Amino acid sequence: MSYDLRRADARIKWLVTCLLATLGLSYVFGALMVSLYAGFTPERVAATYAGPEMTMPMPPETTMVVTRPMSMTDFARPETHAVDTNLLIQDTHVHVPMYGVIAAALALVVAGLSLQRAWALGLITVLFAAPWLDFAGMWLTKFASPHFAIATLVGGWAMGAGYTVVTALAVKQMWFPTKGVDR
Amino acid sequence: MKQLILTAALAAVLHITPAVVLVKRPDAVQALLPGADAYLAREVHLSNLDAHRLHQVVDWSPEDGVLTLYTGKAGATAVGALEFVRVDTPHGPIEVAVGFTPQGTVRGVIVTKATVEMKPWVLEAVAAGLTNHYRELKPGEVPRGAAALAGHTGSLAEYIAGEVDKGVARALAAYGTFYRTAKT
Repeated sequence: MSYDLRRADARIKWLVTCLLATLGLSYVFGALMVSLYAGFTPERVAATYAGPEMTMPMPPETTMVVTRPMSMTDFARPETHAVDTNLLIQDTHVHVPMYGVIAAALALVVAGLSLQRAWALGLITVLFAAPWLDFAGMWLTKFASPHFAIATLVGGWAMGAGYTVVTALAVKQMWFPTKGVDR
Repeated sequence: MKQLILTAALAAVLHITPAVVLVKRPDAVQALLPGADAYLAREVHLSNLDAHRLHQVVDWSPEDGVLTLYTGKAGATAVGALEFVRVDTPHGPIEVAVGFTPQGTVRGVIVTKATVEMKPWVLEAVAAGLTNHYRELKPGEVPRGAAALAGHTGSLAEYIAGEVDKGVARALAAYGTFYRTAKT
């Protein structure tokens, strides 16, 4: 195969490096956004996506009032950012195509690396499967069980891990090549 | 199912922008329940009948069928009540805080949340004096903020004033119907 990033022109190597750096920057801010709105624990992810739709209390026969004291700290407490079905539809519509483009870009980088075929195929599979797992987890958390929040976390971490592995290999092979490595 | 598909299509077309906090809730509480040093949350769990009654009056039902009203006291003196009402618009949700005096009239209205897209419309409407038009309204009266702004602001500020009107109308209906009459 003639497509080999190790032997590519410096301009191509620089293009790939810039692409990876840009994606890395967006992933850092993606992680910050997740920490702000959903969190990194199964409980917080479940609270974000399962929301009140998972519990549908029956209305009382007569209107009842429950009173509890509030402090100013209670008012200041951050509300759980709940993603309802409409917002999840919108998020899926916007994110999944973009994740596909990102996975395709990273998979193209993988195709130019010196890796055993099985490893390359596995890595490409992870790049595409991770966002699927991420969003499948959100939908299943909402409509099946809050326990599926773990799928979203695994998908998110897999996206980060896939990017990190591809970037590390690409940078090493493009800019710090070692002799005797064959495909 | 039909509604779900329509909502999905609407969400896909409109691309609702993220929500932003315009005024933090504690700041809204301090402004609308001035001087209060103790607060109570009154969660009114509506029966089907009462939820239907409220829906008929203002075409709205609270999330999960629960209205939450906050009351404030300064020592033994009641300062008033407060409600945060969410209004869903085609551009995303806004949240309106409506404060009441102990006499049951509107003390003030603050738009606490909007979306990135709607924020400038809200700011324009508020700068044009929108919230002044709600003061001293009583349950049973109709908020007319949008009508008051007509011709004095841009059309989007006038539009958002109409949405704030809805929030105030819901708060007035909820307060007037359930604040004093509900069983504890």
